[in-house]
Amino acid sequence: PCPGQARSYYVDWRMLRDVKRRKLAYEYADERLRINAIRKNTILPKELQEVADKEIAALPRDSCPVRIRNRCVLTSRPRGVRRRWRLSRIVFRHFADHAQMSGIQRAMW
Amino acid sequence: MWGRVRGWGGLAGGLCRLGAPGSGREAAGVARLEGRACSKIQKLFSTSSVLSTEEDKSAASKDSTTEVASKSQESTAETPKQKLLDIIGNMKVEVSYRKKLQQLKTREIKKQATNKLEGLDSEGTMLQRTTEDIQRGKPLNPELVEAASAVASSLPLNKKQTESELLAQLRRHEETTDKQKKEGISNIRNVISEMAVKRQSSAQRGVRISNRISVDLDEDGQIIKPGRSSRQSFESRRSLKVGRRLNIFTKASTETEKALKTVSSPTIWDLEFAKEIAAITAQPPRNGFEEMIQWTKEGILWEFPIDNEAGMEDDAEFHEHIFLEKHLEGFPKQGPIRHFMELVICGLSKNPYLSVKQKIEHIEWFQKYFEEKKEFLQEI
Repeated sequence: PCPGQARSYYVDWRMLRDVKRRKLAYEYADERLRINAIRKNTILPKELQEVADKEIAALPRDSCPVRIRNRCVLTSRPRGVRRRWRLSRIVFRHFADHAQMSGIQRAMW
Repeated sequence: MWGRVRGWGGLAGGLCRLGAPGSGREAAGVARLEGRACSKIQKLFSTSSVLSTEEDKSAASKDSTTEVASKSQESTAETPKQKLLDIIGNMKVEVSYRKKLQQLKTREIKKQATNKLEGLDSEGTMLQRTTEDIQRGKPLNPELVEAASAVASSLPLNKKQTESELLAQLRRHEETTDKQKKEGISNIRNVISEMAVKRQSSAQRGVRISNRISVDLDEDGQIIKPGRSSRQSFESRRSLKVGRRLNIFTKASTETEKALKTVSSPTIWDLEFAKEIAAITAQPPRNGFEEMIQWTKEGILWEFPIDNEAGMEDDAEFHEHIFLEKHLEGFPKQGPIRHFMELVICGLSKNPYLSVKQKIEHIEWFQKYFEEKKEFLQEI
């Protein structure tokens, strides 16, 4: 009775892992910012900065934002993803051709 | 049409403002004496507010000036009968002061019309009424009286009559303003009861209008009747004031309190029942609009026009964002740490995306961190 697809699971496990990484990165974002501010410093003594290095390395590995991959939201494709729509190129093309993307038109010039 | 009205009104208004506030009333008298009627007047009467006295005065003067303007233009076209019918047809419901003004003005308009065309039958009755008014209590401001006499003398028409009418108008106005000043809030109930009475009467307006129309067509000594009916309404108003009491609030409030006390904490079954009802009544959206409404309620869809600060309630002033030095009290005043923290504060003060709370949290974290590392730092 409801229009559109009803999806209750993530597309695959890789997408799930990516979701976990994003959550952790959000939680530890402030701490990482502060510890990095201590590390990337010329004023504070070097010993303090080394201690900060060790501290940040001790944080969970999934908390760093570098590990996040912008996957396609519908197919979990890691490559060929347009950031604005969060879709892979194939899905994007599919929807655009069916006129389901607002403001998208076939280019011709 | 409206532009011309305003122009005329502006001129007359200018003239009014030169003298005392009472001079506005003179203009009203002047307007009436010209004996020209217009349907727009009633619309002007109905717009202004009710209970404040000074607003009434100024509003009345404005109305009278626009009355002058509108009258001066439309007089030639309409016959007096049509004018009177228009007035009666457009009369609206107002509070006591407005109603008295209207009635007085319509009476006077009618009188002037009849005077112009035919004999002076109405004068006798007007004079009677003015003498009645004169007998009422408070003496008028001598300046106003002088002004009224000056205006009356300046006009070409019957001077004594104009003066008496003006003075009657002034007196009535002062009466009502004094009443309102003295009685104040406790009188609101009476006012409301009066208003209720008038609404009933307006429902029967059709009957009265027809009566009045039939009266006016005779134009010979029948004009006493509207005066009589107005007197009756005055009397009925007084009798109602005496007898009636609106006992709405006292009883109902006690009842509602009792009803509230009986409801105790809802049981689990009640909650379940409520959830069931909500689930059943929440039908799936029939169209895209209802879907969008549902999403907006849930928070999925933003509210349009887009508010850039939606969900961001930063009530702090700018100085709380910028002058963060007072939070630096826990730190040593010399040394590299102080230098570092000052840089941190400089950066935070330039950050528009954080709330004051978040900034303070940052600083406090640093404070904790450096305190933990104190022993380590002292070794260095």
